[in-house]
Amino acid sequence: MPKLIKNGEIVENTYVWQQDADATATENAIVPMQKWLDNQDSIGKVAGIWIDAGEGVEPLAGVDLSQFDVIGVNFPTFMDGRGFSYARLLRERLNYQGEIRALGGFMADQQGYLIRCGFNSFEFAEDVNLEIALTLNKPFNVAYQGDVADPRPIFLRRG
Amino acid sequence: MVDLVYLRIYTTTVQSFMYQYDAIDQQLVEERVAQFRDQTRRYLNKELKEEEFLPLRLQNGLYIQRYAPMLRVAIPYGMVSSTQLRTLADISRRYDRGYGHFSTRQNLQLNWPKLEDVPDILAELAEVQMHAVQTSGNCIRNTTTDQYSGVISDEVADPRPYCELIRQWSTFHPEFAFLPRKFKIAVCATESADRAATQVHDIGLHLKKNDAGEIGFKVIVGGGLGRTPMVGETISEFIPRADLLTYLDAIIRVYNQQGRRDNKYKARIKILVKALGIEEFRKRVDAEWEHLRGTESTVPMSEFDRLASFFTEPAYEVLEDQPAELTAKLAESNGFARWYERNTFEHKKPGYRIVTLSLKKPGQAPGDATADQMEKAANLADQYSFGELRVSHEQNLVLADVRQDQLIELWEAAKENGFATPTLGLLTDMICCPGGDYCGLANAKSIPIAEQIQESFDNLDFLYDIGEVDLNISGCMNACGHHHVGNIGILGVDKKGEEFYQVSLGGASGHDASIGKILGPSFAQEQIADVIQKIIGVYISARSDEERFIDTFRRIGMAPFKEAAYAKAN
Repeated sequence: MPKLIKNGEIVENTYVWQQDADATATENAIVPMQKWLDNQDSIGKVAGIWIDAGEGVEPLAGVDLSQFDVIGVNFPTFMDGRGFSYARLLRERLNYQGEIRALGGFMADQQGYLIRCGFNSFEFAEDVNLEIALTLNKPFNVAYQGDVADPRPIFLRRG
Repeated sequence: MVDLVYLRIYTTTVQSFMYQYDAIDQQLVEERVAQFRDQTRRYLNKELKEEEFLPLRLQNGLYIQRYAPMLRVAIPYGMVSSTQLRTLADISRRYDRGYGHFSTRQNLQLNWPKLEDVPDILAELAEVQMHAVQTSGNCIRNTTTDQYSGVISDEVADPRPYCELIRQWSTFHPEFAFLPRKFKIAVCATESADRAATQVHDIGLHLKKNDAGEIGFKVIVGGGLGRTPMVGETISEFIPRADLLTYLDAIIRVYNQQGRRDNKYKARIKILVKALGIEEFRKRVDAEWEHLRGTESTVPMSEFDRLASFFTEPAYEVLEDQPAELTAKLAESNGFARWYERNTFEHKKPGYRIVTLSLKKPGQAPGDATADQMEKAANLADQYSFGELRVSHEQNLVLADVRQDQLIELWEAAKENGFATPTLGLLTDMICCPGGDYCGLANAKSIPIAEQIQESFDNLDFLYDIGEVDLNISGCMNACGHHHVGNIGILGVDKKGEEFYQVSLGGASGHDASIGKILGPSFAQEQIADVIQKIIGVYISARSDEERFIDTFRRIGMAPFKEAAYAKAN
């Protein structure tokens, strides 16, 4: 099982992505959001769903997100920044409290921003050295804007 | 003697009239230097792939160009202190070839640094509260504004505190570092003129007061140059200043999610605004803003007060306007009178004048300054203008607070140092990108075109007679030289490996912003000056008294210009 970084630690990954959201989906499966929405009455308990770039979080309005242990956000490439907004909206608008996992083509150097937007786990490609990646998750100890951890911008925090 | 005076003033100048970093601002730039140093090390060690390092270095203003890297140093809203300018001069001398290029985003570009030196350069910049953060890449770029901010009488309010607010909000914004494309914001605070080209920005902000006298912004969205030039549209007539950041967040959040990412030429916000229509785009932004308005990012009055406190007025003397020696010199010296007329501007305080140090000396690339010139300009700022300068989007330097009784002295010093070309706003005060001499993107050279035009229009009497014309040159469709909004625009194009130039007419970047229209088939390099002469000839014979080039063009249209430019020699 490949490893991942979760809450600042290297841990075993206990979930698998599964393209089909049907009867074969298991309790540790992360399935595509749209397929889950289409089949939610027929499939059983899954670990969570993943959102592809372009889908947005609007389809999840009205869904009880607390049933998911994890929501993945898939980055087609590290240049595609839509997922940053998706995570913020999951946390700040839809009040999702569970794990938000970065999937796909994101980069270790983006972790600082990703964490500030609400991500707390990172499923890296096989060739990424997780020990090094761990050192890159907090490039800045101060910030001007509010974020998911602290909604207060700097002007509410300056002494 | 000049240097002694400079030393005396420089060592006694302690007060500043621009934003000063506190411990938090300083920590942030220092942590950025450390981050970039590590990224550069990993790249050079092959731990980071080329394509991974690319967006990381771009977010720090580092391009790999035709011959060498180019580092774009941020000069937030164009404000630079003499100390900072001396550091830039020193850096350009030690790490580069002893000159830099001031850009239309009021930044400074160094054309020849070594990649491995860049972390050290950034560390030295950080020591004088400077950086290269977000001067490139698909993120929010350096916010620009009027180079005369704070020293003209007709502004609604000084825009610089608001620019600083936007600078801080946009710096390392966690959500908006990987937008579909670059994002540029400009602020204007006067109804009489828009010197920041706000209508051709992704977002243009016009400071204004509502009927109740409250300060806010008219917000324009979806302007931009590049491949599909557009003038922006008004999305809101008035956003109270307290709501500025939540409103900007709403606009950019909609853009980040809905802007096109399949084609980089269709990825700017203007394409999204155009595709949806301004009504629908406004609806989506308002729906997002519903959620954000009134949240913690609402700016309290205490923060506006804090920011404004940095941009206080210097200790102006009580002086009379038009002192006798000035009046006498204006009558006696035609050269001085010309410089005064073109390169100085009315100041809000009696007895003071705003002076532009021109970087358009014939024989020097427009916007370029040598290290010596940067140091001289810094000295002049210390001696005559409270130690501060501004960079204008027309690529000149500005001394904002010069005593009228010191103008003659300053003029002499400016002449000595190549700053006194008395052509501000005239045909040869061109905006010009570095072009194919430096830039890896360019289709064609632009600097030789500027030189050719300067040589062809070297008669000052004729230039003054022609009057105000904006001539802008870009070496490619990326339009860094703003050719679309030049009254006369010149664009370098590649035709089967050869450099040709397309001419457009009728562009404007002020409150009357418009996109120029193409004159016709492109010209060979050696034809350009001649074509511009013909175009000017049409204007001279068609204009009515005092009519500017752009107004004549708007009245008579393209046809007569086209006819003259393409007429066969007989």
